[in-house]
Amino acid sequence: MRIAQVIGQITLSRPHPTLTSGRFLIAMPISLRALSTTMQPDGEEIIVWDDLGAGLTCWIGVSEGVEATMPFRPDRKPIDAYCACLLDHLYLDEQATREVLS
Amino acid sequence: MQLARIVGHAVSHIYHPSLRGWRLLIAQPLDKNQRPDGEPLLVIDQLGASIGSLVILSNDGQGARELVRDPNSPVRWFVLGLPD
Repeated sequence: MRIAQVIGQITLSRPHPTLTSGRFLIAMPISLRALSTTMQPDGEEIIVWDDLGAGLTCWIGVSEGVEATMPFRPDRKPIDAYCACLLDHLYLDEQATREVLS
Repeated sequence: MQLARIVGHAVSHIYHPSLRGWRLLIAQPLDKNQRPDGEPLLVIDQLGASIGSLVILSNDGQGARELVRDPNSPVRWFVLGLPD
């Protein structure tokens, strides 16, 4: 799972039949350098299927790839990013982060 | 499998049921000369990896689902081993 911040929401007008009841968020992943300094996401935006009700500016764990479709088994959904958890607290160890980034 | 360094942990109260009770760590994947490689990942851990330690991560979804004993779990990355 990648760490991402919710920056928006998307409503689909003519979705694939299996996606009709879905709630879609626009989330932006974040690198370690940004996470340890500005907390401003700097990745590429992705559209995430959300069951947990993540709001704007909420930090979420995004599961990607085929694992994003696993919660819907045996049904099948054409999605590749799924909001697996809402992050309440992100603790970064300064020393370990400095070591990795140096 | 991927080499990574644990740089912190995450706390979550609302999550997919299969993650219940699992320790959620923030791991920064490393390339072969231990430089950061890609974005930090949320990984589940049962081996008690300490923060700042080097770990081997696995991204085998099937293995992760067996680990959490839930065939519908979205989890993928987990700590496979602690290299000496």
